[in-house]
Amino acid sequence: MRAESINPLSPRTAILKERIAETQDTFSLRLSLQGDGFNFRPGQFNMLGLPGIGEAPFSFSLIDKQKRVLVQTIRQAGNVVGALAKLQKGRKVHFRGPYGNGWPLEKLKGKNVIVVAGGIGMAPLRPVIHHLLKHGNEIGAAYLLYGARTSTDMLFKDDLARWSKKINVLLSADEVNEQGPLQVHEGLVTTLFDQLDIRLSDTITFTCGPQIMMKFVAAGLAMEGQNPRDIYVSLERRMKCGIGHCGHCQIGAKYVCKDGPVFRLPDIRKYADTLL
Amino acid sequence: MSEAYVIVHENLLCWLSNLMKSFDVFGPVKNKRGQVVFEPIKNADGLDLDYCSTMLGPRQFIYPSRQTLFDIDRETGKSQTVLPQQTKKRMIFAIHPCDMHAISVLDRTFVGDFKDVYYGKARKDTLTVVLNCNQACDSGFCASMGTGPFLQLKDGFDIVLTAKERNYLMEFGSERGKRVGKKADGLKKAKKGDFTEKKRIEATAKQSFRKQMDTAGLPELLMRNLDHPVYKRTADARCLGCTNCTMVCPTCYCYNIEDTTSYDLKTTIRSRYWDSCQELNFAKVHEGNFRSSREARLRQFVTHKLATWVEQYGCFGCIGCGRCMTWCPTKIDLTEIAKEIQQDVRIGRAR
Repeated sequence: MRAESINPLSPRTAILKERIAETQDTFSLRLSLQGDGFNFRPGQFNMLGLPGIGEAPFSFSLIDKQKRVLVQTIRQAGNVVGALAKLQKGRKVHFRGPYGNGWPLEKLKGKNVIVVAGGIGMAPLRPVIHHLLKHGNEIGAAYLLYGARTSTDMLFKDDLARWSKKINVLLSADEVNEQGPLQVHEGLVTTLFDQLDIRLSDTITFTCGPQIMMKFVAAGLAMEGQNPRDIYVSLERRMKCGIGHCGHCQIGAKYVCKDGPVFRLPDIRKYADTLL
Repeated sequence: MSEAYVIVHENLLCWLSNLMKSFDVFGPVKNKRGQVVFEPIKNADGLDLDYCSTMLGPRQFIYPSRQTLFDIDRETGKSQTVLPQQTKKRMIFAIHPCDMHAISVLDRTFVGDFKDVYYGKARKDTLTVVLNCNQACDSGFCASMGTGPFLQLKDGFDIVLTAKERNYLMEFGSERGKRVGKKADGLKKAKKGDFTEKKRIEATAKQSFRKQMDTAGLPELLMRNLDHPVYKRTADARCLGCTNCTMVCPTCYCYNIEDTTSYDLKTTIRSRYWDSCQELNFAKVHEGNFRSSREARLRQFVTHKLATWVEQYGCFGCIGCGRCMTWCPTKIDLTEIAKEIQQDVRIGRAR
């Protein structure tokens, strides 16, 4: 037993309470945690896994400390996800974590906030929106800019409508094939920048999505006058351990798993092999 | 002056033979093909103490190329940590200083802020005996990296030996090393002259290097020149993507994890094995492969060993053993890559 408690590779177990179909290729797992330790923060991640299949990193799209519930939103890709997608309600899931640094929410105090999400990148940003809704009075103007491939692929549509009553929610899709309660602009997420009505010198940006999207988000915001040091990006990399040992997630001198996944843009852009 | 002894060759071998009763001893021996390899040894006579370099360093006995991590019961979902089982303590004998430094470099990864229990246990259970090099090996440049030809470490090892003209000088890096070392017969307290002789041998050894690299300011210089054409030219013309460099490198720590399930589907063994950043899909995710070109992978190897490692761990990831270039089928030499960039900086062709 002692070896298990000091072995960082040793998995814990959670119970699958519900599987929620989000879009055609994306689902959420509602996990209930047993035992001690519920210290998950927005922007961190778990290594979720199943014996015989393996483990992969997934972010949290909802953290409910009172109910000891975590929601992890996952897009169909690879073996681990394939097996997780078939898991029956009530079954056990292995996990390790939380890993990584998470979003620096403390930096938002007294600032305007822009959250830019692309596709599945909305998942790790949803707890940030929850934070904005809860602490709105400590924060200046808040924007969510969310882009997806098609408007059908948009995650958390009910949430978006609800959030739009408290914060500015702007949506875009490359292909608008359906309109919901909120208008979806046709085009890239950067086309929404025209509608930002705030001073970017007092603004913090959190962004997560495809790296090529984040590159143009950063370039666009910098052109509008934002300091690149106020832009935080969350990166996806291959991971096997989550603790800076297996080497897969390295970008230059940084381990995305333990130094990230959230980085100040200039701190990570200086290394090779990012698209930023 | 710290406690040190001199011991003659016969007594040293006798001491080692006696220790084999209580230790599993690994040491350098010549195999059938004439290569020197680290192997478990049963008698001290077969040791090759004049060896130059081995293909694999002693890293393999502390961080094996493949090892079981967990036994998982698929019915209950319970996983059990499988620690390396040893009935006896272990000793690695005649480790060259570069390889001992390499193990201390690995320590910074595996027993840093997160502790790898498998590595930690094997490291703790293994006595390390270093043998200083009296002469440079063919492609070694440890003197340039500050990792040889004589051991530079103050701790993290147990015993260090220096072959002198008539006997060996035995010094210690740990209390347990001292305890074990002092079991030898015929030990004589080292005198001032023994240390003078050691200094002289070290100075001569330093003169014997044919390979050198200037490491002053090297990390910054490489990071300023990530787009230098040497990477693309070398990778396109010569890199086969075989991963040999990273398999033989004694500081490479990357691994992959694999699950293997029994035929009756009742148990799963989770194991890990050495992985390589030179492998095509090493940095591949659903979004894309961030190092899909050989150029990017070669640059990753060179800049990690000679630049970003310093930022991560405060030391170079290269200990100057020369294995990567020795076992590269096309002899890609990271010191030559570094030198080309340094040369270009000197003549103003690079930053």
